[in-house]
Amino acid sequence: MATLLEELFAKATRNSHPIFAMFELTYQCNFSCRHCYNPIARKNQPRTGEAPASTRRPLDFSEIMGLLDQLKDMGVLYLSLTGGEPLVHPRFWDILAAAKERQFAVRVFTNGALITPSVADRLDEIGPHCLEISIHGANDATAEALSQVKGSHQNMLKALGYLKERKLRVYLKCTVTKLNEGELEGIKAISDSFGFPVFFDPVITLSDDGEEYPLEMKASDEGVAKLYRSDGINIGNSPFEWEPGELSCTVGAGTLHITPHGDVQPCIQWKQPVGNIREKPLKEIWSTSPVLEEARRVAREMPMLIRKGTKDHAFCRHCPGLSLLRYGDPRRLEEQYLRVARIKAEVSRNEAIDK
Amino acid sequence: MFDPKLYRRNPDVSWRLIEGQAVLVHNREGEIEVLNEVGSYLWEHAGEPLDGLSGNISQEFDVSREQALRDAEEFYQALVASGALQPFNEK
Repeated sequence: MATLLEELFAKATRNSHPIFAMFELTYQCNFSCRHCYNPIARKNQPRTGEAPASTRRPLDFSEIMGLLDQLKDMGVLYLSLTGGEPLVHPRFWDILAAAKERQFAVRVFTNGALITPSVADRLDEIGPHCLEISIHGANDATAEALSQVKGSHQNMLKALGYLKERKLRVYLKCTVTKLNEGELEGIKAISDSFGFPVFFDPVITLSDDGEEYPLEMKASDEGVAKLYRSDGINIGNSPFEWEPGELSCTVGAGTLHITPHGDVQPCIQWKQPVGNIREKPLKEIWSTSPVLEEARRVAREMPMLIRKGTKDHAFCRHCPGLSLLRYGDPRRLEEQYLRVARIKAEVSRNEAIDK
Repeated sequence: MFDPKLYRRNPDVSWRLIEGQAVLVHNREGEIEVLNEVGSYLWEHAGEPLDGLSGNISQEFDVSREQALRDAEEFYQALVASGALQPFNEK
């Protein structure tokens, strides 16, 4: 049964009141993850074409403050600061403090590697709502094979310790890949040892510019099946993933996304820019964009699209942004979601037979 | 007697009015409070004199001024107990 809060959020979403916003502070990152969707070229990523070279100027601090004011005026409650790695932004601390002053519940998405005791102290002092930290494996070799940075796993583990000591709220997030699919229990054990929940996501997204190389890291069918056969495992990309009534996606209605250059997008996955905050007020973009209107239509159609798109519809989700990026059609169900639905259906049938 | 001048909204509580209702997120504890219409009005106007607030509530909700004042005091005390409001001298 939906809680009072879920009902309220669902009502807000129906009325296109954005509750969640994601702000990519920078595309710069200290990791080079093999499965990353970030459009900046990383080492050892088998691109087929050149990475897009951006000569555009990122938002400066005063523009960012203006953005925060606009998001507050629009009623956004949860603000995610992400990247790239947000901690490498030269004004990260000022931005975090300013967001907190504006009463956002701030979520910081980080790989954790830059969190030292003094960084943890500053986080504790400012008090974001939570940190959401990527975990790539249960051991150094796997995590470093994915991050392509020596010491990444150990630094992340140290960070978890510093954050736990300060009683900060942490959620771990693991993209299930072919490299770590055999270590799900180990990853869960790490999260349990710190008392932080972990969320496993079996879907990998394309590169922001449409390159498919991240999909080379896809987990096997057996790896995904194992995820769904395990007890007590959280599946999804965060604890904030929620399904408002009949909708299974809040794109264009309950959530919005801003890039480091001020482009506004329907969400992190639906990459079509609908305007830029340097050119128009955010509220005007939000209320007049035909692309956002189309995104809302697709979200409303989603239950029907899923029912028509697969016999495993009871187990299927849909990400119109990923479909748009991959096929140019936000209504077409994406192959990974269909695969996950098929596997979930098989696991469910087998479990029913076993009982 | 609750003196609103002595209290402020806790800066560790994030909040927004969503569909006319105040949603309070206690960032340290992780708890969320959803206030009703009257509570949301009182939260928005925290720190203002109770006389004026209870007068407005009395007019709007067909309740006596005395009752509105008692309810407002009780409500603010509950917010102090939950940590959503805090004395000015606390961090």
